[in-house]
Amino acid sequence: MREYLLYIKACGGSIPQVQTYVTPSFSVDRSFWQEREGCVLHVIGKTSSLALAFSLRAKVNGYLMEQVGKGRMLTEGYVKELRALAVSSVCEASSLYGREAVSVQDRLEQGWFSWEPIEESVEVSYRGGKESRKWTGAQLGFLGGRELLRRSSSRENLQEAVLNELLDGRALLWDEIETLLKKRGADAQDLLAILHSFVLANKAEWRPGIRLAVTKGWWRKQLELVCERCGSAGAKVEFTYCHTCEQGCAYCTACLGMGRSKCCTPYFLMDVGESLIRSADHLQNVARLEWAGNYSADQSRAAERARCFVANPRPGLSEFLIWAVCGAGKTELLFPSVTEALAAGGRVLIATPRKDVVLELAPRIQRVFPGAKVIAVHGSSSEKWEESDITIATTHQVMRYHRRFLLVVLDEVDAFPYHNDPILYRALSRAVKKNGKLLYLSATPPGYLQKRLVGKGRPTLGSSGVIPLFSDTHVLLPGRYHGAALPVPKILTVQGLHKRVQKNRVVAPFIEAISTSLNEDRQVFVFVPRVDEIDRVLSYLQKWLPAHAEEMDGVHAADPMREEKVLAFREKRYTVMVTTTILERGVTIPKSDVVVVGAEAPVFDEASLVQIAGRVGRSVDDTTGSVLFLQAERATSPTRAVRQISQMNNLAQKLAEQRGLS
Amino acid sequence: MIGGTCVRCSGRIAALQKETVAREKARQLSDQTSYPVIYRMLKGIVLCGVCLDALPLIGNDYCQRCGRDMEYQTCIGNEGLCRDCVHGEDGQILVANRSLLRYEEGEKDLLGLFKYRGDERLASYYGTLLAITVQRFYRSIGFTCITTVPLHPQRLRERGFNQVDLLARHLGVATKIPVRPLLRRTKDTPKLSKQRGRVSRQESMREAFAWDGNNMPCVSKILLIDDIYTTGSTLRSCARTIRGHMGPSCEIYSLTIYR
Ligand SMILES: [Zn+2]
Ligand SMILES: [Zn+2]
Ligand SMILES: [Zn+2]
Ligand SMILES: [Zn+2]
Repeated sequence: MREYLLYIKACGGSIPQVQTYVTPSFSVDRSFWQEREGCVLHVIGKTSSLALAFSLRAKVNGYLMEQVGKGRMLTEGYVKELRALAVSSVCEASSLYGREAVSVQDRLEQGWFSWEPIEESVEVSYRGGKESRKWTGAQLGFLGGRELLRRSSSRENLQEAVLNELLDGRALLWDEIETLLKKRGADAQDLLAILHSFVLANKAEWRPGIRLAVTKGWWRKQLELVCERCGSAGAKVEFTYCHTCEQGCAYCTACLGMGRSKCCTPYFLMDVGESLIRSADHLQNVARLEWAGNYSADQSRAAERARCFVANPRPGLSEFLIWAVCGAGKTELLFPSVTEALAAGGRVLIATPRKDVVLELAPRIQRVFPGAKVIAVHGSSSEKWEESDITIATTHQVMRYHRRFLLVVLDEVDAFPYHNDPILYRALSRAVKKNGKLLYLSATPPGYLQKRLVGKGRPTLGSSGVIPLFSDTHVLLPGRYHGAALPVPKILTVQGLHKRVQKNRVVAPFIEAISTSLNEDRQVFVFVPRVDEIDRVLSYLQKWLPAHAEEMDGVHAADPMREEKVLAFREKRYTVMVTTTILERGVTIPKSDVVVVGAEAPVFDEASLVQIAGRVGRSVDDTTGSVLFLQAERATSPTRAVRQISQMNNLAQKLAEQRGLS
Repeated sequence: MIGGTCVRCSGRIAALQKETVAREKARQLSDQTSYPVIYRMLKGIVLCGVCLDALPLIGNDYCQRCGRDMEYQTCIGNEGLCRDCVHGEDGQILVANRSLLRYEEGEKDLLGLFKYRGDERLASYYGTLLAITVQRFYRSIGFTCITTVPLHPQRLRERGFNQVDLLARHLGVATKIPVRPLLRRTKDTPKLSKQRGRVSRQESMREAFAWDGNNMPCVSKILLIDDIYTTGSTLRSCARTIRGHMGPSCEIYSLTIYR
């Protein structure tokens, strides 16, 4: 069992400097201080719950700051007081835990937390380092026990360098560090002690996986448990009796899919800093862009604005939004920005909510950046632990990074499943290096991002004012790369729409729309709000259009045949595909139309409907198409979606006119 | 707690839709006496109607010894035994094994979440499934106690949780049969999936357990539980150790979620 020791370090001249530390290996701390400064280390006690040790550290530190600030000396009696404070805090936490842990079955009679008080004070005299500052702990007048320590043999510097390189920019739970080292073939002895020496040297931070604190509620004190990895708290954190620390523990259910973050697991955040120093030749090769495509005039301007943002060293300028309508060619817009970051010696992360996008994007990026190492990182990816210049990852995986990337791109910020999730933003901002840049890429940026980044304080989408085309923090690309306007959806309200479909009664505009498309040899996406409506709508269409019944099918997220069906649709073996919002993005089919049945349903919000309409008319050969929103009653989202699309068309036209004039 | 959301699809549990399915499944799994109990347990399970309906329940044609679903067996052996049980050695160590579900592809993720990820919230779900299995197959047997296949102490410390213990506790509460630890694991066997073949697995199981319980009357009926019955070698090895200590008049039945 790992144990963590809590001690107070006191040093300095007439005004003693005191600080409390938690260590998994006291001898490392002793030799560390010995090399730097003489001091006295007052041990308070130990526990196998890291969360408990950290919460006691906060408590003792707070107490110390208060008292020592008042000019009180750290006498032996005072240290005794602090030890008593620790014991009473453990008791308090224990009883609070017991109150909350009603569902935990291993009920403990005596205390949920174990704490072993230690009465020992160690004097550490200054032994080494280059400066020959004379200093002895005795001068401070502490009365602690004396123990002279020999400087422990210096650890292998080589081993440290390897660990620096492997762990830099990562935020990992203890088990993950072990996995990473194993995967990369590194074998470290006494790993925890080495990592702790990084912490002492300020090259890393560490915390318990779940943080524990006693807070004062309005009524009574309560136990607060927060996941340090993902930030979840409250009902997301489950109490449990743990066989690792053999006491009251808790784990996070929100990020459980990535391993168990719990009270007794150390969580390390590494920030070694400038570990990547490479030759100019090397960087030139890494940043080499080999792309034969062409930008439209608008695209090239948007891409250049984004690049300038990435290149701008101004501090504080850290977020930028590329707002590009569906079919504007947004991935290509990134290339100059990525080149910029790579050439500056940084790493690049492109995060996207969906795994299939990761898999599709990685080879595409690798082709245009042949000199860079590109890896695809998702739950079951084997490349997860490798070193890379460009990382394409699912948003979950971003949690594993810590100040690693000079440029982080978040693709489809509005997409399922992380929309407006504080966990996502926390993870993203943590993955960016100090002075690094965060770039959002979206066709339908959520309102809060528009407010934050699009022409600060100026009117944005939905209001009648004009949306600014660019600012310091955003650029808008309102037109498609082929220059044709976005198809504007038609909204139709059909009274009793769902009943009619259910009873197989005719809904003329629906059937006509589909048969018109089919007669023109086009394919149709039919979107429904819920999975259970797929079959109903499918059989409805098959009944009314029997000639095409064989070419129709339905697909939903958990469909075991999902990939086959989508492929068959792409290959035109099916002409009508009934589906839910899962196909709202990603799947692009030339010469296709869209019908939404039940556009009033809450799952179809404004962004979702804009994305759905964005399926149509994307290819150069077929820039038009029809989009029909059928609603059972008046609703705001369809109207707003149409307004957004029209607004984009107007802006694009204005832009084209301006270009014509100049 | 999970409450109103389904543990498999995370969808909301619609009471009305589920009601019909619960009735139908309860009829399928019970006779007249056990119907109310099984129905109540099915209703309380944290699954939506669709997922409850999709559970790969073992049918009524199963191997009398190991509880395997015979409908899915190509070769039907004699006397109600499957091929493995006809040819298997020391079949008498365990009186019988019974399980509720076939271990199909779709089940692996959920069990993995419980077993390897340690999502303890699933304990009540799986515990209820075990209680249903007891009602279905073992209702008339008066068990002295429930016991579990133990983890090696080293492994337990690494993982921090023991999913089978959690199951046993839930089952004990539901069936009012006391739970008693009887065994200790003396050999840390590698993860089952990493072992090649049946023989090596049986080999590695030999003397992997030792007696570690209090004394009990020697005419006991013991219910030994685990999450899954693959070849049965782990369960048989446990049973062998228990009988070695308690004598041959002790009857051991095993119970798992999956077969
Ligand atoms: Zn978490
Ligand atoms: Zn623990
Ligand atoms: Zn479900
Ligand atoms: Zn059998």
